[in-house]
Parts: sequence; C-alpha cells; structure tokens
Amino acid sequence: MKELLTPRERFGLLVIDEAQDRVPVFPLVTAHAARVAGIPLRDYYTDGAAMARSQLVAQESYGTDFISFFSEVGLLAEALGSQYDYPDDDLPLLRRPKWGDLTALDDAVVDPGRDGRLRVYIDAIDYAYEARGDTVPILAYVPAPFTTAQQLVDQEAFLLGLLTEPERVQDLLAYATRSITRFCRAIIGAGGLPILVDPLASGSVISAEHYREFALPSEAEVIRFLHRYDLDVVLHICGDTRATIGMMPESGAELLSVDRIDIPEAVAGAGRRCRIIGNYDTSAILLSDAATVEREVAAMVAAGRECPMGFVAATGCEVPVETPPENVRAFVRAAKQTGFNSDFGRGTATAFRRGKPWLYPLPERRIP
Amino acid sequence: MRAERDREIEGSRDRVPEWTDPKPARVTFDQWLDLFDRVPDDLIERYHYYGNGEAWSKYLFPPQMFAIYGMRHLRRLKFDNSLAALRMWGFVQNETERLFRARQTGRRVIATLGDLGAVPVIVNSFPGCVAFYPDCIWWTPFAMESRVLFDAAAELGIGDATCFSRAALGAFAKHSYFPDPDLVIASTGASCDDYSGVEQLVESFAPDMLWVEEPMRCDARPTGPLQQLLVREYERVVERMETLTGHAISDDELRQGVHKANRVRKLVARLRELAFRDAALAALEMMVIEFGNLHYYSDMDEWTAVLEHLLATAEGRAARGERVLSEDALRVVWVTPPADPLLLTYVEDAGARVVGTEYVINQALEVMDESKPPLEAIAESFMAASLIGTSRARAQSAIDQARTYGAEGVIISGIFGGSHCAMEGRLIADYVKADLDLPVLEFDVTSPSREVARQVGTRIDAFLEVLRSRRGLPRLSPAENRGCTHPESRR
Repeated sequence: MKELLTPRERFGLLVIDEAQDRVPVFPLVTAHAARVAGIPLRDYYTDGAAMARSQLVAQESYGTDFISFFSEVGLLAEALGSQYDYPDDDLPLLRRPKWGDLTALDDAVVDPGRDGRLRVYIDAIDYAYEARGDTVPILAYVPAPFTTAQQLVDQEAFLLGLLTEPERVQDLLAYATRSITRFCRAIIGAGGLPILVDPLASGSVISAEHYREFALPSEAEVIRFLHRYDLDVVLHICGDTRATIGMMPESGAELLSVDRIDIPEAVAGAGRRCRIIGNYDTSAILLSDAATVEREVAAMVAAGRECPMGFVAATGCEVPVETPPENVRAFVRAAKQTGFNSDFGRGTATAFRRGKPWLYPLPERRIP
Repeated sequence: MRAERDREIEGSRDRVPEWTDPKPARVTFDQWLDLFDRVPDDLIERYHYYGNGEAWSKYLFPPQMFAIYGMRHLRRLKFDNSLAALRMWGFVQNETERLFRARQTGRRVIATLGDLGAVPVIVNSFPGCVAFYPDCIWWTPFAMESRVLFDAAAELGIGDATCFSRAALGAFAKHSYFPDPDLVIASTGASCDDYSGVEQLVESFAPDMLWVEEPMRCDARPTGPLQQLLVREYERVVERMETLTGHAISDDELRQGVHKANRVRKLVARLRELAFRDAALAALEMMVIEFGNLHYYSDMDEWTAVLEHLLATAEGRAARGERVLSEDALRVVWVTPPADPLLLTYVEDAGARVVGTEYVINQALEVMDESKPPLEAIAESFMAASLIGTSRARAQSAIDQARTYGAEGVIISGIFGGSHCAMEGRLIADYVKADLDLPVLEFDVTSPSREVARQVGTRIDAFLEVLRSRRGLPRLSPAENRGCTHPESRR
C-alpha cells in the first residue's frame, strides 16, 4: 500500500510533537545492509560508496524509515590511533588500543577528512543524502566519549581507572569529546544527523553511579554541541538500562534508543521527557521464525504507542549481519500495521490514499 | 510619506545585538558553518518566535540544520554573511515548525490562498490568529530538490502541466507541512488560473472554507464599485473570523493591524532601495524579504524585528560604502519570481545583480492609507495587484525600475504551466524592448533539480555576455563565467 507520508515527513512530525500517520519503523539495520545489497562486509566499512549503496538498497528493500550508517564503535578511536584488523567478512576488530593505561594523553584531534575511516562515513552520508535525502532521514552513529575511551585505552585499565584514577578518566573523556564533536560537525556538513551511541555505558558494563559520574556528563557535552545546531539527538545505549533510564534524559537527548528494558518501564522512566526508540530482541530477530517476530513486534509496538512523547519501533541493538531478511520484513510489516494511526489528518487523508477524492461528496459550498 | 517612513525606521536601529559582521560577501553553505561557529551562545538564545522564551522557539541556526531536515538546495546557494541574514534564514526556514507550535500553543491557524498579501492583514488583526500562505509551499520542491509534493498533487489530478504552486495541494493532502487549518480563506478572480484550480481541490481537505472574490483584470487601476466589492468581501472575512474566534473585532484593532502591516511594507521598501541602488543585500535575500510582505512568515512581530535587523545591516553597509556585490556587476531587473532560487545565485555568480523586481506581488508592497477605514485601505492597496492591472502595467513597473537604477537588461523567468506567464511574458518583453531598447531574456523555470538546467544556464550566460558587450567589456572565459553553483565545484 502506498503510504501517505515519506519517512522524512513522518520523522519531522515526531520531533515537533505531532502525531504521525503511523509509528516510524527503524530496525537498526547497519552492517546487515551489506548482506542485503550483496556487498562484501569489508567493502562496506572501508568504502563510502559501498556503505551508501548498501544502506540505500536495504532501506528500499525493507521500507524502513531511516538510513543509518554504522560499522563499529572503534571508529573514533581508530582515527585517534588505536589499531584495528579488517577481516574480509567481518567487522573491524580492535588489535591494540592507543594506550595501555591512563598515564599519557596527547593533544590530537581528528581530521574527519583524513584520519582513519571517518572519511568513509562522510562519503557515505554525502552519497545517500544526494540520492534520497529529500525523503529519508540520514543518520550516522557516533560512538560517545565513554565508549570511545574504552577503545583508546586497554579496557581493563580503563574500568579500573573509574575507581582508582577518576581524574585521568575525565581527562580522557574530554580528549575523546573534542574529536567526537569535530566529527559530528563534519557529519552535519554532509547532511547527516548524528546519533550518539554509548553501548559501553550500559548497565551491563558499569554501575548506575559510574554512569552518572562519567558517561552521562560526557554524553551531555556532545549533545550540548549538537543542540547549538538545533538538532534532535538520539542517544542509543544498548544492553541493560533499567538502572539508568531515569537519568538518560538528563543527557539532553530528545530520543532514547534502548535495548534490554521492558518498554512500559522505559516509558515510565523517560517517556514524559523523551521519545522512546526500541527495542525488539536482536537474538530473536536472528533466530526466531517470521511469524514469531511479527507477533512479538506487534505486542512491542502496542506497548510503545503508550509513550506520551512518541515512539519509534526499533530493534534493541543492531540487526545481526546474518539475520534472515524475511524476519526483518516481518518486523517492518508488523510495526507498520500495529503502529498505524487511523486518526491522522482528521480522516481527510483516507480520501487521498484512495487517490480520487473528487469521487466523494465535497463539503457543501458556502455561497453568501 | 517618505519622511514618515524614515522616522519609523529610525526608531529600530538601536535594537541590533552586539556583533561585528565580517566584510559583506556572499558565502557558500560550507562557509556559513564556519561563520556559525563564531556566533556566541547568548545570541542563539536571544531570538525566539511568538515572543516565547521556551527552547523550542529559538531559530538562529545555520542552513546546515535545515539541510539535515531535507532542504538540500541550501547546499548550492550563496548567502549573505551577516548575522541579520543568518537570523532571517533561520526564521524563514523554521516556518513549518512554527505553524505547528502555533496550534500547540492555542493559536488559530488560518490558511489564506490566492490573493498574496491582503487577507492576512485582517486575520492577523484578530488576537491569537496566525495567517499563512500555502501558496508559498511552491518553493519547497525546489528547496528539497524533490518531486514529493508534485507527485502528491498529481495523484489528486493536478499534474506537470500546471504551475509549481500545485505543491500546495500536495501539502494539504499530506498534513505534515502545516497543521490542518482552522479556516481556509481562498481568493479567486485576478489570480493565476492554475492556482484557482488548485484552490478548488484544496476544498476537499478544508473543514471550513471561505471563498473571496477579487476584481478581474482591468485596463486601469479599479476604483469605485470594484473596490467596494472587495470591501464587502473583506467584511465577510471579518464576519467569518468573528464567528471562528468569538471575538468581535474593533475598528481600532483593524487599524492597528493595518499599521503593523504598513510598518513591514515601509521597511521592505527601504530595503529594496538599499539593495537595488547600493547592492547592500543580494537578490536571494531580497526575494525572501519581499515575500515576507505576504504573511510575515507566520509571526508578524518577530518578522518585523528581523527586518529591522536587516535594515540596520544594510544601512550600515551603505553608509560605509560597502557592497555585497561588485559595483561593476551588470544590472538587471527580474520579472516574475523564480521558483528555483538557485537561478538568482547563478546570475549573481555570473557577474550580474538584480536592481529591480516585479514578483507579481505589487499588492503586498504598496503602503496602505491609514487615514481611511481599515477595510477600505486594504482594498484600495490591493487594487495595485500585479494581476489586476494589465501586462502593460507590470511591464511599466519593470521599466520604471530599470530607469531608476540604470538596468542594462531584463530577465523574465516564466512558470511553466502558469497561465499568466504563458500569456504575458512575451508582451512584457515587447514593452520593455520598445520603451528602453534593453535586451530581454525570457525562459521557463525547469523542474526541481540540483543544478540550473544546462539550457537555461547557457541562455543566461549568453544574455549576460550580450549585456557585457553592450558595455564594451571583453568576453569572459568559461572559467570566469562559472560560479560555484555547479555541484562539482561546491566543495
């Protein structure tokens, strides 16, 4: 069925607190897009055109409401000096972080046109924006300072540092933030909307106290930068966020993308301040059959629509690379059907969808 | 009248914030991002629409923000580098959101169609009411480089053979470019025939619609019965607005509405002088400014403040002898607004500047006579409408401006499918040639695209070459004759 609104029009309504024709649908299709397009994974994260083509094919094939660029959380760390391996058919793997401990920082700030694979992202955004930027929002995941820091320093040393060297951790977060904002600025210039992704700040990794002390202020710093441009910011934290959901709005994000938390709990914790994006289980979309996905997504969307600020039907984290396409289609189908808003446009939209409004009685003319 | 206007303008100059503009120039999209980095946070916090202090009503943001939300054409345009221009662009681009916020904050939103300038004066006189022109959505497909709204209109029966203003029908159908209006007031008569067709289909989306009759085209400026007809039509508008709002409007409120509209018209008149005579502002900003006279971008008070800011900038430049375009630029008058704003950037990049305009909105430029009863004053000024007068009258306006500012040529950008364009473009060209012996370029604006159509670009280049040769200037090399409008040269 032809839809009334384009994804961009739908998203535009969501962020200005207006009802949409249906819930926006956003399974987090990132590297999985390469599989959909038949493009080798290594090409996906090393070639901007390949990344863009993958996303364009996936978005068109699935009928999702966003194009979202992402490969892995080491993107900024690599640009700052951490080393990664590029397997032929897998995502980059951290070989060696820039530093083994928290003892030394330099004064480096990334150059998005030159360092690491940042240029890949910028090229991909530019390409997709020119191709489909009028109808589909172009999103780009940007690893947050707390997550980036754990890719710059040996992770064990970093986590230990939260307890023993908090000042040095703060310095490292500030160091990462400078490059992250620089990268965000380049994304903005290319037509993309940065999404802040902070998976290593989830309750699966750190305590709520450490989230408040370290991760949250650095997220807020980046979001303050983005708010200078009046952008609506998505903060994505996958993993367990039950203990931090009430704090996450303090970051300033307008939309919270969550993972391992019940939707009603997320709505209760943050749904009066933020739109909630979530959160179908990524293991389920990988391993279940399409009928199960469809049934469970419908239940999720029904719960999510209770969010006062609005809801986006998504997966809790990235759609796994090997997910069967029919499962993603089942997700999209169920989310669109369950999320349909029959009240949109006060009913006049119905005539439009049928395509021939003049076949229906026009309102009585008011002749003076 | 001029003295009174200057006195009013004088009172606004001390309201400009502390900020030092760079030397006047037109800058690219990327350069604007660099400039925005210099804007202090307190300035971003300073400007709000609807006199509201909430974070959602801020609007001083760079073109990049609007590009991210789909306005792709902004990446190809060149902008004035002043803070006032940044403020103007932020305010204008923000209008869709502003209209939805108007509804959310309890204002009544009234769509006014077709007459381009008069009915909003009445609507805005009512407390808590906001008028806007869906007609102006015609720029959106170009700004987004998109056919989405045209396709939506086509599904409703208005296809490519019709004026670009058909985008308004698509916008009504989609319910996402402005809130569903509380009332639609559609004018018909001396307006574009195509748009009358659009208005008729809009009625199927309007829960409440009032038709207003305008006088048809006349040989001479109408007075007497035709003007009285319009006054009676405006009385019907007032009645319907009173029914809608439950507010019995007083004569004083209407007078105040006329006064505020006049304030805008006087500011714009002065800005036109400064732009056309002194090149204090470029054509792109001036087109946005002129069209603000139609409905003030849905917030009259704030738009007035934006204009005051622009005027202070332009006056300052003129006083210092600074220009945004070269003194040597070829001078042209532009007839009919280009639906594609990139054409203005293109022409300026090629070494010309606009020193006069006839954008089919003469009715919105003329100052109303405040000594008369308000509805009479509005009706009288509407008799100056570009589409009430003859083609000769439109041509005369272009001729007069060409004489005043020493134009060397006239550009007429037609609207493919626009009924009046097909009929009168050639006529206007003939009048101009006969009276002034000036070269005239007439072309139709092509569909939304990321660049100026090659054929149109070539014709503009050749036309400007003719003007250059008439001045006795040498030919430009192809490299010199290209601005930054080509996609490959954008970065």
